[in-house]
Amino acid sequence: MKPLIEVTNLSKTYGKKSTAFRALKDINLAIHEGETVAIVGKSGSGKSTLMHLLALLDQPTTGTIKINDINSHKLKQRQLNRLRNREFGFVFQQFFMNANDTVLNNVLLPLKISGTRRRTRKKLALEALKTVGLDDKANNKANDLSGGQKQRVCIARAIVNNPKIIFADEPTGNLDSVTGDKVIKLLFDLNKQKNVTLIIVTHDLELANKCRRQIHLKDGKITKDTGVKPQKGAKK
Amino acid sequence: MRLIDIIKTANHNLFQNKIRTFLTILAIFIGSFTIVLNTAINTGVNSFIDKQIESIGGDGFVEVFPAAMYEQINSAMQSGTAATEYNSDTGAAASSRITDSDLAKLKAVQGVKDLKIFHVLSPEWITSDQTKQQYNVSLEYLPTENFNVDLSAGRMPDNNSDQKEILLTEDYLEPLGFATAEDAIGRTVTIGFKQTALCYTKPSDCISTVKATITGVQAPGILAMSGELHINYALDDAIYTKSMEGVPAETAAQSNIIAVGNVNPDQLSQIRDDFEKLGFSILTIDDTVGMIRTFLNVVLIVFTIFGAIALLAASIGIINTLFMSVQERTREIGLMKALGMGSGKIFLLFSLEAALLGFWGSVFGIAVSVVAGIIGNGVAHSTFLADFPTFSLAEFTPLNVIIITLTIMLVAFVSGTLPALKAARKNPIDALRYE
Repeated sequence: MKPLIEVTNLSKTYGKKSTAFRALKDINLAIHEGETVAIVGKSGSGKSTLMHLLALLDQPTTGTIKINDINSHKLKQRQLNRLRNREFGFVFQQFFMNANDTVLNNVLLPLKISGTRRRTRKKLALEALKTVGLDDKANNKANDLSGGQKQRVCIARAIVNNPKIIFADEPTGNLDSVTGDKVIKLLFDLNKQKNVTLIIVTHDLELANKCRRQIHLKDGKITKDTGVKPQKGAKK
Repeated sequence: MRLIDIIKTANHNLFQNKIRTFLTILAIFIGSFTIVLNTAINTGVNSFIDKQIESIGGDGFVEVFPAAMYEQINSAMQSGTAATEYNSDTGAAASSRITDSDLAKLKAVQGVKDLKIFHVLSPEWITSDQTKQQYNVSLEYLPTENFNVDLSAGRMPDNNSDQKEILLTEDYLEPLGFATAEDAIGRTVTIGFKQTALCYTKPSDCISTVKATITGVQAPGILAMSGELHINYALDDAIYTKSMEGVPAETAAQSNIIAVGNVNPDQLSQIRDDFEKLGFSILTIDDTVGMIRTFLNVVLIVFTIFGAIALLAASIGIINTLFMSVQERTREIGLMKALGMGSGKIFLLFSLEAALLGFWGSVFGIAVSVVAGIIGNGVAHSTFLADFPTFSLAEFTPLNVIIITLTIMLVAFVSGTLPALKAARKNPIDALRYE
């Protein structure tokens, strides 16, 4: 089976010449559909950078990323946007919600961007809110919710477009352990029920251990990868 | 994102920061208000002039004066005019006079129906048998052939009649002791005027009188506004001849500088050329009105420029507002980009926000200027425009309003492009990391 994401010789360098900083050095990995992957590392280890590259939010300095066997270099900006909009879901530590807007409007944002019809997107958004157990808050202002509720709304937003992959950047970072567990349970339920691939960036080892696979990063290099063994050709 | 969603989102975003948006709209409002109101006044006044000209008629009415008068006026405005040699044959200002032979030549031009020297009459008073009071008056001969003068009663004075005839205005009815306009028809008024030569020797007793028959009464209107009473040529001639009795002909002729008359309007341009060759210029009603219109337009253009400057200042306000908005919503922009919104749509989102600022500013401006126009019309009609109930001081046409709105929106849109470009260029990662 072809991997969902295949990364070859990936490097990312910030800045130029004398001030250059290599955030990622020669990363090779493959992630298959339905996997739950934790990218673990201290701050500055390059884990966020890796996630951004995997999510096609940023361009690598060298190396290639293949999504569904398609080289991301060969995609035009429009196709990249479309891919992120249709196939990816995002959950961020800082939520990134429009505080003054309603919960419903926050959830349906990806559908609004994709140009889905009004009625359809409302229906899908309410379904997504039901999944996270917040359908009764649909018309509340996003600002009036608690932190845990906010992150659940963000998960609803991430799944509203029925994505293949959810990227979660420290999803429990701003939450206490009880609400954090709820959020994590939601994400893993999605993985079980809908076979959504989870890629979670975290420095929380407890959360990381719930994932079937952990990729440890240090100074931009993979120090440990517990996952399926990379294909032989992928690693030099 | 669908266009309708972009517009809705832009409008929604606009009202996220109400005070800032309101202040920016207020700045646009000042410009839009000035321009809309000016345009409305321009339209109103011009349509009024058009209607009045149409109602007055006066096709073919001409005022004729020596072309040299123009030159004299022009040279008077230039400093250091060179001294010219005196010519005893022509006299000091002969070239700016209409002589009898000139008049004969002008009359002979094809298409000229009649042409008479215009006399400046300065009557002392007017009275009637019904009153002992004497009233100030000014009289003017008008070749009335093509004028549509509104009459309350009676008919126009007949210029071809030998009878001395006068047209009253309604203002003179009560003072001269007439109950109604009909009462006055056929009655006689007495006009007193000075005999210029006699006044040198007998200053206390140099007033001569003439009697005239009232043929009609003029209704209020633009022709009655000047307050002059229109008289026929027989009366004009009688007063002028008598008042100039004893004055040397040459002296009297010095005031012969304007002729008035009627020409065939279809041949006007030919007549104008022919008169030009004879050294005379023509002024028609259209010419006179054209001068008024030009003056008016200049004034309104100046005000419109003020409005445009206000708008220019407002557009800087728009740029500032939008930059702040982009700065504030950096994360939102990052999120939208991460969720797959293209740079073009982000650009559109912000530049449309600017265009909407323009839209609301101009709508606000239009609304307030319409209200101001209605109040202004009301005030005008109860005061200085009481005689013209149909005249709208400010007239708003949908086309003008739409053009102004679209122009302001375009200006706003263009102002918004700079901040919108900044928003569109934001990298999703940097935007999301932004603290």
